[in-house]
Amino acid sequence: MMSEHAQHLTSQFSSLVAHGDELRKAGKVEEAIRAYLEANTHPLQAALCLKLAKSYEAIGNISEACQWALAVVDADDDFTSWQAASRLIQRYAVEIKAKANLRSARVALLGSYTTAQLGQMLVLAASRRGISLDMMESHFGQYEHDIIDPKSQLYAFDPDFVVLAVHEGDLQLLEHSLTPHESIQAEVYRWTKLWRTVKERSRARVVQHNFALPCEVPTGHLAARLPGGRYMMAQAVNARLGEEAGSTVSIVDCERLSSCIGKSRWFDPRYWHLAKQAVALQAVPLLARHTAAVIGADLGVSRKCLVLDLDNTLWGGVIGEDGLAGIKLGNGVDGEAFVAFQEYILKLKNKGVILAVCSKNNYTDAIQPFEKHPEMRLKRHDIAVFIANWEAKPQNIRRIAQELGIGLDSLVFVDDNPVERDAVRQFVPEVEVIPLPEDPSYYTRTLSQCLSFEASSYTPEDAARAEQYRARSQIRELETNAGSIEEFYQSLQMQAIVAPFDAFHLPRIAQLIGKTNQFNLTTRRHGMPQLESFVNDPNCVHLYLRLRDRFADHGLVALMIALRQGAILDIDTWLMSCRVIGRTVEGTIMEHLCRRAEQLGCTSLRGTYSPTEKNSMAEDAYAKLGFDLVSRIEGRAIWGYDLVAKGLIINKFIKTVETWEGVDGVA
Amino acid sequence: MELHERVEGVFRRVFDDEQLTLTDETSARDIPKWDSFAHINLMFSIEQEFGVRFNGNELGELKNIGELKTYLINKGRR
Repeated sequence: MMSEHAQHLTSQFSSLVAHGDELRKAGKVEEAIRAYLEANTHPLQAALCLKLAKSYEAIGNISEACQWALAVVDADDDFTSWQAASRLIQRYAVEIKAKANLRSARVALLGSYTTAQLGQMLVLAASRRGISLDMMESHFGQYEHDIIDPKSQLYAFDPDFVVLAVHEGDLQLLEHSLTPHESIQAEVYRWTKLWRTVKERSRARVVQHNFALPCEVPTGHLAARLPGGRYMMAQAVNARLGEEAGSTVSIVDCERLSSCIGKSRWFDPRYWHLAKQAVALQAVPLLARHTAAVIGADLGVSRKCLVLDLDNTLWGGVIGEDGLAGIKLGNGVDGEAFVAFQEYILKLKNKGVILAVCSKNNYTDAIQPFEKHPEMRLKRHDIAVFIANWEAKPQNIRRIAQELGIGLDSLVFVDDNPVERDAVRQFVPEVEVIPLPEDPSYYTRTLSQCLSFEASSYTPEDAARAEQYRARSQIRELETNAGSIEEFYQSLQMQAIVAPFDAFHLPRIAQLIGKTNQFNLTTRRHGMPQLESFVNDPNCVHLYLRLRDRFADHGLVALMIALRQGAILDIDTWLMSCRVIGRTVEGTIMEHLCRRAEQLGCTSLRGTYSPTEKNSMAEDAYAKLGFDLVSRIEGRAIWGYDLVAKGLIINKFIKTVETWEGVDGVA
Repeated sequence: MELHERVEGVFRRVFDDEQLTLTDETSARDIPKWDSFAHINLMFSIEQEFGVRFNGNELGELKNIGELKTYLINKGRR
């Protein structure tokens, strides 16, 4: 039921849009834009975003035009608007790429159905995540052929990703099998063999769409207990493919997506019979958005930290006015909704999302619920950085990023207040802003639709990450108390385990190589196959470093890959997680590299610094360790270290151990 | 908004051509970009715009704009 107020707003909206349309037709584009902007209230409408995009395009403001075209992705899933927005983005692909420092990726879309629309929308959705796609599409239904034929266009294209856009009808499963186990096994083998073939013949990562079960099931509810029926076998194939995928293949969970929007909307038999659309056109934007998010996670463009407002975001009411007993939390519909929202946030934290608070409040008021309210699910120790003051939020958000040592483009901000959201959007545009709906009951769903926390893998380090960042801010406090910097380092009681790469650590190593931007000397994004070949190369030195101090186990935070070239050991890759910057880890990993160089009979080390937009913090890394500059060409610097003349590099602040030794404060 | 104008609006968005004008006689032959792929997108966009559902066999056949409008009038103004 629509309230009178809502009805009024709706009619106001359509009359403003209609007014804009008329102005547009009359050639008064600037005035039309003003009318559209006025009509544009939350939630975003794709059709209106498109009108704005086209209007800005008409007056030659391409950057605004592109921004509004990208906003379509965050609005509704109106197919026609998505398509037009995608074409606009593709028209200006060159300009966008030059301006916005996008990541690029080559994607081969191998489908078993008509995927032209999916391809188009994938370009748009990827662009929204900061990825510029070069796309190749297989011919209709040629996915198996293209993978099996070594001379196919697929391998000539040399993709970074192979998206297997397939559907349930492709499953070679009988309606009923007398030997379901074998049938499932054979089908899983067919797919994993395709994966392996791609892996053997290219450097591409496979992104597999899993199988959305249809809503028409001839055996009805019996199907749910017929292990030999196609229905249960298809479910089993999905589950088994998930197990086989591990960390090497990505999966887009089409079975979940189709359930979320409804299977009868996911598949439209008319368009299947007419044009072999196995995913209804109205569901294609959803599928494109999720596929792009999965690719984004693999490329390491996912975000790391959720910044939370407090009043009317984590609880109902205003703590500074309503007091501890007055805020809505735990009781009534809204009160329970806020608790549910907090519980969801806690689950995000447990999968590795860092939490921060940014609130306009007196600190003593803001902290009170965290310490005293019995219904609070989030506790003070869940929050890595807690800022409550009366300064502008954009400023505070910059501070949060700084304290955590992460980029602004790693933050997601949620606030119920549209004014604050706008301020953040305007002054720190790198931050992703989630507009909360009016009803707190829908907060969780809204947050869950933000795909920026999509992760490519799950390592124990992810689970501990939030803890480590909190420890990091504690250390900042310690840093101000400790006298000299040497005393500070010593007080941390740091220990490191340094060892060659092994199978257990490879997923984390690949993850770091894929996403570390700041302290990364060469930013070479080696994939899993390359890493495996390093491990098997006797002339390759590869080291990872795990760090622990008296506050936290930081996990695997640094790594190095070096290749022996005669008497020189050449450092191919050296990177470090930002959370351990300023902890002398550089010295320790270099110390171990020196030792390995000696063992191999090398007399000097050589290092390269290749500048990127983000890695200026590592520019002096070699100089600080005593390397000499050999040459510098267009910012790219080659450094050398003479082991014979200068001796080993030693770091006395971190103790290298085989296994962790007991320290104060950490059990 | 008038029916003709709304139909034209859909065509303009689908073919990404702000100048596109339609007459009742316009058919696939008159618009070079109107191939089978564009046809699917077009029919779906019309369904969305007017909140109608063509029958499967109606989706494939569409003689010209006049016929489409007649169809929409009969179907839409139930």
